[in-house]
Amino acid sequence: MKKTHNNFWLLKPNVNFRKLLLTMKIAILILVCGFALPAYSLTPGTLSAVGQQQIKVSGKVTDGATGEAMPGVNIQVKGTSVGAITDVAGKYTLSIADKNATLIFSFIGYVTKEVPLNGSTTMDAVLVAEVRNLEEVVVVGYGTAKKATLTGSVSSVVGETLKQSPTTNLTNSLVGRIAGITAVQKSGEPGYDATTILIRGANTLGDNSPLVVVDGIPHRSLDRIDPSDIESFTVLKDASAAIYGTQAANGVILITTKRGQVGKPTITFNLNTGWNQPDVIPKMADAATYATILNELSYYANPAAGRNQVYSATDIKEFGDGSDPWGHPNTDWFKAVFKPWSAQNYENISVSGGTENMKYFLSIGSKYQDAYYKNSATNFGQYDFRSNIDGKISKNIDISFDVAGRQEDRNFPTVSEGNIFRMLMRGKPTMQAWWPNGDPGPDIEYGYNSAVTVTSATGSNRERTYNMESNVKLNITIPWVKGLSFTANGSYDKVFDYHKEFDTPWYLYSWDGTTKDANGVPVLVKNSRGYSAPQLTENWQDGDKKTFNAFATYETSIAEKNHIRLMVGTESQVGQNNYENAFRKNFVTTAIPQLFAGAADQYMSNGGSADQNARLSYFGRINYDYAQKYLIEIISRYDGSYMFKPGKDFGFFPGVSAGWRISDENFWKDNISFISDFKLRGSWGQTGNDRIYYNGALKEYQYLATYTLNQDYYVYGQTVNNPMLAENVVPNPDVTWEIANESNIGFNTTLLNKHLTVEADFFYNLRTRILWQASAVTPGSAGISSLLPPENIGKVSNKGFEFVITYQGSKGDFGYNISANSSFAKNKIVFNYDTPGIPDYQKSEGMPMGAQLTYQVIGVFKDAAAIAAYPHYAGAQPGDLIFKDVNNDGKIDGLDRVMDKKTGMPTYQGGVTANLSYKQFDISVLFQGSAGAIAYLSPESGDIGNYYESWVKNRWTPENTNAAWPRVFNRSNEYWSPGNLRNSFWEFSTDYIRLKSLEFGYTIPTNIVKKIGVEKLRVYVSGQNLLTFSKIKEIDPEEDQGTSYPLQRVVNFGLTLTF
Amino acid sequence: MRKLLIILSAISLIGIATSCSKSILNTSPLGLYSDTDVWKDPNLAAAFVNNCYKGAVGAPFAIARLGDYVDETSFTPDWGCFDFNKCIVTQDNVTGWEQSWFSDDTYHYMWNQLYFNIRECNVFFSKYSTVQFPDAATKNQMTGEVYFLRAYTYHFLVALYGGVPIITKPAVLGQDYSIARNSYSDCINYITGQLDSAAALLPASFSGDQRGHATKGAALALKARTLLYAASDLHNSTSIATYAPGFAHPELLGYTTGTQAARWTAAKAAAKAVIDLGTFSLVNPNPAPTDSVAKNFVAYFLDYGYNSEDIFLQYFTPKTGQWTWQDYFPAKYCGPNGYHNWGNNCPLGDMVDDYEMKNGTAFDWTNPVEAANPYSNRDARLYASILYEGTPWRKRPLDVQSLDPFDKIQVGHVYAMDGTTQLVPGVDTRQGPIENWNGGRSGYYLRKFVDPTLDPQYVNQDIPFRHIRYAEVLLNYAEACIEENTGSDLADATTYINMIRKRAGQPNTTAVTQAALRTVVRHERRVELAFENHRFFDVRRWVIGSSAYHAMHRVDVKYLTPAATSYRKGDGTTWGAAVYSNQPLVEETGTWIDKCYFLPIYRSEMNKNALLVQNPGY
Repeated sequence: MKKTHNNFWLLKPNVNFRKLLLTMKIAILILVCGFALPAYSLTPGTLSAVGQQQIKVSGKVTDGATGEAMPGVNIQVKGTSVGAITDVAGKYTLSIADKNATLIFSFIGYVTKEVPLNGSTTMDAVLVAEVRNLEEVVVVGYGTAKKATLTGSVSSVVGETLKQSPTTNLTNSLVGRIAGITAVQKSGEPGYDATTILIRGANTLGDNSPLVVVDGIPHRSLDRIDPSDIESFTVLKDASAAIYGTQAANGVILITTKRGQVGKPTITFNLNTGWNQPDVIPKMADAATYATILNELSYYANPAAGRNQVYSATDIKEFGDGSDPWGHPNTDWFKAVFKPWSAQNYENISVSGGTENMKYFLSIGSKYQDAYYKNSATNFGQYDFRSNIDGKISKNIDISFDVAGRQEDRNFPTVSEGNIFRMLMRGKPTMQAWWPNGDPGPDIEYGYNSAVTVTSATGSNRERTYNMESNVKLNITIPWVKGLSFTANGSYDKVFDYHKEFDTPWYLYSWDGTTKDANGVPVLVKNSRGYSAPQLTENWQDGDKKTFNAFATYETSIAEKNHIRLMVGTESQVGQNNYENAFRKNFVTTAIPQLFAGAADQYMSNGGSADQNARLSYFGRINYDYAQKYLIEIISRYDGSYMFKPGKDFGFFPGVSAGWRISDENFWKDNISFISDFKLRGSWGQTGNDRIYYNGALKEYQYLATYTLNQDYYVYGQTVNNPMLAENVVPNPDVTWEIANESNIGFNTTLLNKHLTVEADFFYNLRTRILWQASAVTPGSAGISSLLPPENIGKVSNKGFEFVITYQGSKGDFGYNISANSSFAKNKIVFNYDTPGIPDYQKSEGMPMGAQLTYQVIGVFKDAAAIAAYPHYAGAQPGDLIFKDVNNDGKIDGLDRVMDKKTGMPTYQGGVTANLSYKQFDISVLFQGSAGAIAYLSPESGDIGNYYESWVKNRWTPENTNAAWPRVFNRSNEYWSPGNLRNSFWEFSTDYIRLKSLEFGYTIPTNIVKKIGVEKLRVYVSGQNLLTFSKIKEIDPEEDQGTSYPLQRVVNFGLTLTF
Repeated sequence: MRKLLIILSAISLIGIATSCSKSILNTSPLGLYSDTDVWKDPNLAAAFVNNCYKGAVGAPFAIARLGDYVDETSFTPDWGCFDFNKCIVTQDNVTGWEQSWFSDDTYHYMWNQLYFNIRECNVFFSKYSTVQFPDAATKNQMTGEVYFLRAYTYHFLVALYGGVPIITKPAVLGQDYSIARNSYSDCINYITGQLDSAAALLPASFSGDQRGHATKGAALALKARTLLYAASDLHNSTSIATYAPGFAHPELLGYTTGTQAARWTAAKAAAKAVIDLGTFSLVNPNPAPTDSVAKNFVAYFLDYGYNSEDIFLQYFTPKTGQWTWQDYFPAKYCGPNGYHNWGNNCPLGDMVDDYEMKNGTAFDWTNPVEAANPYSNRDARLYASILYEGTPWRKRPLDVQSLDPFDKIQVGHVYAMDGTTQLVPGVDTRQGPIENWNGGRSGYYLRKFVDPTLDPQYVNQDIPFRHIRYAEVLLNYAEACIEENTGSDLADATTYINMIRKRAGQPNTTAVTQAALRTVVRHERRVELAFENHRFFDVRRWVIGSSAYHAMHRVDVKYLTPAATSYRKGDGTTWGAAVYSNQPLVEETGTWIDKCYFLPIYRSEMNKNALLVQNPGY
């Protein structure tokens, strides 16, 4: 009816779009086959261009190491789109027009070879495998560097690797793959499931997130980049990040997207269809147990009234045996609300190729992800495109023009994720989620029966985000000065966000427990819940960011062996955002969810605001090496930020690093030749940080005395809402840059015939002048506890190491690459104000950041005698937790709290990847683990909600006094309840090892697919979060609370098609 | 080609030069007002003062109310209230007082919050001289208001903690923040001085859109309350020696010089000054025999003010789509769970029992006639303030209508004839089918302040909360007279007490002695000012902790019938007469420790300010 009509408007186009995509997928497959048929008649191994004076050229390609024939090698006539691919015997034939043409032989993992024909008609080629560690080029700040001569600590992965994880959010693919990152995913909710990525753990009390630079433009988002577009993913971990100065103190993630290569168009299809499900669903107490617990709670409150104050023994029996599904249900709320599997899919089509003068990479992609809920209103869709064009204007001028666009479509129920999961935990097993006849169960509170609130029955809630990122890059090689080039980038990024929430009443069914119809079937009453009249909230954000940078690079060699590279540049970035919102309620019907249809009454409201930011930097770098043996790099950056007062706004940050390729020394070559390459590296640098965040909120303009309008009003005379203006901050004119001092020492080595590579780094970071509030020493009577500005007070050290060991090789048809990486980072507060007079064991100094004061639990009071025998909290009862009298003063008070040694941040993370191939089969496995973190769980258990089964299985009761777990508690009402005084009993280790991802693929033999004109066809099945081993069973070990959307286990089928 | 190169290079260089101008860093906050703007523009200054109002008056109807921390009401979800009422209070943890998520009325009564508001008032005084006020009247009014608000805030600090540091200048970053507590008498002198300044500057009244601003009457009434508190036993040296024997700093808790009699005289004079203004009078002071006194009372508390009895009111707004814990939701927070409300702040049996019989005698559970019909012939203020078994109330929500088609409060249970087999629980009980964790424990729900015309789950109430009303001033005056007890004092007190009683439809008091009248005036304060945030302070200043914090009671309501599947019969009548009994409310088993006459200063605050002295007993 009207409700359906409304749903039609809000959801239908989306559904249609999905169907359209599916249709497109099928059409593409048909087209591929259709095109393939005529191609079938062509000579195998030939893709010839039609021409008149054709010369036939043929030859064989072999592997330089083994001498074996190489099938599938791509051969391209330089400057044309003419090409061929070698057959199983490694042979090829080509028809060409120019007998002096140059052939380009390329194969993934091998060095591309260009050979001029010089008139000959046979041309064999020997390809040599790329020795990645030596010749590999790595993207660094404002340029690239050969990995061999790199002196900083840099990790990188190729984009292809990241695609092995079937996730819809790129950040969820990184964990375990890169040494030196700490990754924790807190929620799996479609659309908001990003993993928090930190480089080398946490270094500062404020914001620890790294700077993300995409194609040379800082401050772009990592989450939603299409993984098929990524060429490389590089992490700058030490002072080498200093070239990015402003905001690079927490490290830099550089992403480079793919660009076109000279050659015929390569079209690649990536099609994936998968299913996801929660990886952990908490096991809650069943109805009989819960009913027993409620009886216990009442008994503890009023022992005189006995053990069956709420439920009789008969009730409990009926809850247990299922004999009365209407009156005595046994509801598993998670089961009632979740479906077994939810769909997700991802597809991408890209075309790349080009000529010397014009290269292109074009890509479009889409993603869709459904939520776990039955009839879910939550889902996420993304549609993106990218166009990277490189043009050569003249011999000396290159221009690149990149545009990428993305639409993110997030749909949610009107009831938030938090409330859905809160009510799943609060849903009592003794209540109905669904009645036996299929009608929704009764209200819990606010109408939040999660079985219904996860659907679109409560209205619609849609957020659409549009992103546009554009970049023009100009590269000029100055012809009259050899080695001098000049690069300029201009970028304009735009974001538009539109959020619309329409709350409509919904319906639940209740039963008075007695009324039945003539057939004895209970009569349910349908009743309206939620806002009595529909209401609509709309929010808009319109923002943009302009970045301009320009730098000159000069490269020269002196006396052949002295290589010098100089770079100087400047960068500015200016951003602004505008926000608006509007609200109306009292819609007459749900038919039209538009603002005009709401009542223009006293409840109508709107609002808006804006912000802006600006940063300006000058930077330079000098690289010098002698014979690529002795390496040195000096970086400096002069940064200005709008965050600080003029005069305090600029900071100078230098860095230096050096390397020594000892393996190039003769004494090494002569004596330890089995180690083919060994490079020792060291670096030191300083970087500035201007990101002032408290509790996740950016605190700008803390040097100014400013005032802010309260969200609330003070009312005079009944109707007039008067604004309330309050101080924003006690200004601190001296506030200035926080400084990251970073030292790193490491080595790279390649040994055992280049089969084994090892890379290891040790680091010591010292963050000084940390911007933090002096709350520990400012008494409340000063009245400024909530107004404290950042002061450059804190000092935090962060020490650790990371290493990667990779072994790769092959035996016959069997190829393998096994890599293990491990990162350890532990931070310690070196200085922060501690409140004077507190005992040493409560000081934050020497402890990790974010550690909390916690009572130490040493057991459960067995009986009254046990309470009498030990100091206890006032009002302690048998079955309560025993708090340790830490200072032995005979009483339990705040002085018995001890500063925790662990926090929610793991200190150790590692991963093992194995990539194995046998003939056409390949398999990739990633095991990943994390250690050193704790979670503090505090569910709303009691008369208001259910308990984890594991928490009540071995609980103290008057009959079970030797229990390891305390008696049941009601909400936060006992001193030892998890929600009351923080105590160690509710801290749980979240160490885990998991099979993070697994991919199994099969490449259809070239001789088969070539017949249908396809260059490569690979099908695969992959999975994410397939197995988890952890002591904590109630939640996923990465989550910190049980009230968020669990992480996803994904099973995915996909194919990659190239032609 | 070379030309193109040069042109491009030139353009780029110009681009660099312009973009790299330092001026791009000269941004300004787009959503914040600067210091200069605020202290020039009288409208912004007024907005600043509005925030000081909010800081001074707090959130009198946040979910947990001050009455839950004394013998008025019970806070159903507990959240530490029960422990507070057992005096489980330490310098590390004032149990139940500090809900970190701003859900509490008491959040406003915390040291840091109150001192924040003191600071804001101090900022005003350090800055207001540059404001371009349109006229002297505006300037006088605004400064008078801030004097009033600063005094109001100190009044709470002093009532909760005793003598506190008097801070009159806004702190700057990095200064030495250590400061010692001023003596109690210094604080009282300071507060009354501020209120005198306020009274001299504030207008007598406001009308229309300006209602809710502090007036001269409000300043004088607050002064009367402050001096009444100061004169009370809690701050008298003989009492201090009893409840805090050996405490080295009695001057922080009360007076070490002067006489209590002189302080009662001052309190009396201050209350008389308000009466003598002639501005205020009781509403419906002489109810006609045909009037429903209860209806008058209900109407008064649902009135939008300012009527003749209103001295200082806080208004609220319904104009929001959002919801915060501190919003004004009396019905949602206190309404019965059988209305999908949260069933908090439930009047205790002990409170309800204190409403007299209509004839002026005390209600008594041991009187079989009264116990059989406990809600017959009672003080009209009970009917106006309390929802009890069978009270006709607003229409039930749809899903509850079949359980109660008669829209009458159900706090009892229907039992089989054996009296133990429960057949049907009342829909407003903790055994009921609707949100039973929100079911009240005492058998009563709050009616006072609740606007029954709104959808309480989703719509804020906008009826003003009465922070100061004339009835309080009359009772303040009567109490001061009784305690001063010279000349015609007792007769005067009787006159004013009887004004209150007459308006409530109760017979004149028959008490004549000082002691008897003291009991009467304390009783009148309890019932007349019930749930208005006075009782918490009264039991402290009267030093009667142990008689207010004890094992509390609830009413038990039973219906006995051989078989029943509904709470009432189909015709709306009950299954026989209800059987009422007064039962212990086991969760509210309060106990008293004398240290709780004052709150502790947190250990962390003590550590940050070495000059502080802790209150006794902590």
